[in-house]
Amino acid sequence: MKFFENNCTFEYSWRDVSIANWRKYCAWNDRCSHVIAVDTVSRRVEPSTGVLITERLITCKQSVPKWLLRFIGGTEVSYVHEISEVSRENQTVTMRSTNLTCAHILSVQETVIYSPDKDHPETKTNFSQHAQITAYGAFSRICNTIEDWSVERFDQNAKKGREGFERVLRMSREAFAELKADVSKIPEVISS
Amino acid sequence: MSASLAPECSPAKEKYDNCFIKWYSDKFLKGDSTTDDCKPLFDEYRKCLQIALKEKGLDKMLDEARRNAEERELRKEQGKH
Repeated sequence: MKFFENNCTFEYSWRDVSIANWRKYCAWNDRCSHVIAVDTVSRRVEPSTGVLITERLITCKQSVPKWLLRFIGGTEVSYVHEISEVSRENQTVTMRSTNLTCAHILSVQETVIYSPDKDHPETKTNFSQHAQITAYGAFSRICNTIEDWSVERFDQNAKKGREGFERVLRMSREAFAELKADVSKIPEVISS
Repeated sequence: MSASLAPECSPAKEKYDNCFIKWYSDKFLKGDSTTDDCKPLFDEYRKCLQIALKEKGLDKMLDEARRNAEERELRKEQGKH
């Protein structure tokens, strides 16, 4: 079993981050081309807590080294199941995901939490990512190699994920500013 | 917004996603989650998606993942007590 951890801070409010998070894998994000589709399978607001629970299926296409392809049966498309919870009251977004593909060989369990920064709750948002990676098999050496490869890939994707998400946040802010500028022009048009 | 795993469902998904983002930012985050404005659009998208999931055999995979997730939550809850 191996662990992966990653923490960073985004210079945007929790509100902005939580909105942009739904757009994380859109065309604005040119760094996450390994995610080819994101489907919402179910969604509900828990009546007692007001928490928004969303279940998604994420489709990825990644280049996998030949030695690993032999173990996983030759497929490069893989699926990830994600359950997320947004608590307005606690101002947290918690996303838990697991791999559906090759689950008998490798288990990857990831938890991501977005929460307001303690010192700058209005302007900054903390991102924390934690993953537990376990390879199953009779040969511990092979398991170790698979686990190491997965951790390394996690690290690469985390870096790309951050860069891509920064771009989505920036584009969202710009789009919103343009929208506001357009709205402010309306009275002029009407009065003229 | 991102595509659907079934290209034929992407138009319905896009309509739903746009509706959801609006509801999420204008209503949910402001404390109003009593109405489900996007339900008709979600139903339409879901109808399309369910067929695709079945065809690809992903519906059963999802059921199992759901059960496993519930079990994990349960174990965690029990661990706390």
